[in-house]
Amino acid sequence: MRKKQKYILPLVSMLVMSILLSACGGGDNAASGGGDSSGSGKVTISFMHWRGEDVEALNKTIDAFEKENPNIHVEMQTLPSDQYQSTVQSKISDGSVGDVFASFPGAQFEAFTKAGLFTDLTGSSFLSAYNPKLIEAGQHDGKQNAIPYQLVYNDPIYNVKLFEKYGLTPPTDWEGFLALCQTLKDNGIIPIAFAGADIGPGQFMNTMVMNNAPSDDIFTKVEAGEAKLTDEFWVKTLTQIKELNDKGYFQQDALGTKDPAAGALFIQEKAAMLASGSYQLAQNKLQNPNLEQKLLAPITVSADQAKYEGVHTTTFMLAVNSKSKHPEEAKKFIEFLSNPEVAGEYANQTGQNVTVNDVKYDTPELQVAGDWASKKTVFQPRFTILNGDNQKAVTNSIQAVLSGTSPEEAAQQAQAIIDQHIGK
Amino acid sequence: MKNRIQLSLFLLPGLLLYVALFVFPTLTGLFYSFTDWDGVSPSYAFVGLDNYKDSLSSIVFRKAFGNNVEFMLTVVIAQTFISLVLALLLVRNTKTRIALRALYFLPAILSSVSVGLIWAFMYDPSIGLINYGLNEAGMGSIAHNWIGDPKIAIYSIAAVQVWAHAGQMMIVFIAGLQGIPAELYEAARMDGGSKWQVFRTVTWPLLAPSATIVVAYTTIQSFKAFDLIFTMTDGGPNYATEILTTYIYHTAFGSYSFGLASAGSMIFLVLLALLTLLQFKALRADRVSY
Repeated sequence: MRKKQKYILPLVSMLVMSILLSACGGGDNAASGGGDSSGSGKVTISFMHWRGEDVEALNKTIDAFEKENPNIHVEMQTLPSDQYQSTVQSKISDGSVGDVFASFPGAQFEAFTKAGLFTDLTGSSFLSAYNPKLIEAGQHDGKQNAIPYQLVYNDPIYNVKLFEKYGLTPPTDWEGFLALCQTLKDNGIIPIAFAGADIGPGQFMNTMVMNNAPSDDIFTKVEAGEAKLTDEFWVKTLTQIKELNDKGYFQQDALGTKDPAAGALFIQEKAAMLASGSYQLAQNKLQNPNLEQKLLAPITVSADQAKYEGVHTTTFMLAVNSKSKHPEEAKKFIEFLSNPEVAGEYANQTGQNVTVNDVKYDTPELQVAGDWASKKTVFQPRFTILNGDNQKAVTNSIQAVLSGTSPEEAAQQAQAIIDQHIGK
Repeated sequence: MKNRIQLSLFLLPGLLLYVALFVFPTLTGLFYSFTDWDGVSPSYAFVGLDNYKDSLSSIVFRKAFGNNVEFMLTVVIAQTFISLVLALLLVRNTKTRIALRALYFLPAILSSVSVGLIWAFMYDPSIGLINYGLNEAGMGSIAHNWIGDPKIAIYSIAAVQVWAHAGQMMIVFIAGLQGIPAELYEAARMDGGSKWQVFRTVTWPLLAPSATIVVAYTTIQSFKAFDLIFTMTDGGPNYATEILTTYIYHTAFGSYSFGLASAGSMIFLVLLALLTLLQFKALRADRVSY
């Protein structure tokens, strides 16, 4: 009996180990795509993305899709966006999950393209459902690798009632913008709530640079070593951001303020503008139903020099995994999502605008962004910086000027970091 | 022989875990550190020592290393001092000592991500509890942009690290204090030693092994900090709180430079190993017998 007991512990340990190891290795099985349900002829495809907040709306979409396509079952798997950024490539690279997956534009899209993870969707009939200009971010070398599904305007939001109260209208030049901020400040209102600690620099830089930049591909040139951050366009942008800060047009200590705190200042109507984007409209309204909001982009030049009225980003780029065992079924699912009615339901339930044409938006917040479709906007300049370290160097130069560094020095410091990357 | 087999079987699970969770990832990282792998592509090219050269010459890497040292020194000095003071106060036989010990130990059981998020909110200059409390207490002049001012951001985070772990280190000191024979104190008092003299000549020398453990543990913990900084500032503002671990994370997952990030990780591993070796040496040198 004792002899037997001697073996019990090691055996139990090994059993526990086996269970642990099999648990570690089997994480993806639950959502494993590529499998057919035994004998039923039903194909299961996996849909991977980072928008956990859209799950409820997408579940309804999936139910409708499965009713229309009884032989296809869609399993949805979501990861938080930071985890998605760091782990999705290893999950989808063998095609066992993520027959349909979403990609961020910019660095992730480039990396996935280089890795050959995208199925070329060029020529697919469902592409005609989209605004061709708004799906350009999913193209590479003339191929449509992914379809940006969501449309965001990365322009500051303003409080319409507060503007009306002080007789203000969105200005068309830099002097007008400064005067507007001064009026708000004189009346005890924070002109701009700015989340300087996290999203603020990355969002606000877009509208600030859009008219200062000599060309739309200026950051591509910077990354190629053909232009520098120390050139006039970026030093001027930093100087203007510093001017806004020095004149007290951001809330005090903006560099220590995170997104929720900046949002709170706007929602509580202590601030007249919020330097974020249209994606925040629905959330703001939810927290303060009295809010009336619109979008406004600071024009940093004189009215006659302005090329753009604002900035847009197309993201949540839907793609078919090149390793998928069921590419046709995956395409069918994207085709379903491209239907204006389906896209409209998704938009109205999630509060996000979409790139699909002829979508009817239910809420004033979605219509606000919808109205911007007719305006002259440029794709978010920050996302034209493809290297994450370079992006960080650029946005950090904004933080540098807010903490007292001169625009010239901040630009120089950021350029030095980019120069190191160019050499690699 | 049978015993050996049985022992090996006992060791096997631990060994397997160690190989799977440490040896294998480390060797994989070492391999990729010589490549230009982007973390996604199926192919990569060998680049020799380029990633190591690039890391060591990188402005951000050097800044991160400087911040790492600053953060570590601040935490080690403050945490050792505070935990020692707490231990000296709570080693006495008072009624409240157990409750107070538990109270000071409590932050150690919280998840560092939660701690980071809560403190980032408390530090907020506009709506944070700290500035609000200071203003309400008439100490508005001390109110500050705690994690938004590049000059002090790293110290503000170090303070949270100390708050979170001082209680844990206090327990180590208390264990050390309780191990000092009472006769030594009696003898010292009979010789007419003041409180300070007793501490200097009896307590401190005999507490040296505990202090070494505290310093060693704190040094390693603070050198490889990540969660707090990631959640509170993500290395900002303008790299003021970027440390090696956040640099490695950003290089790998921000710019898809896994080869470069792997080289950074290897350098970090060597630095950490050196620190640990130094600590072990010190630990041996400070052994006290009585």
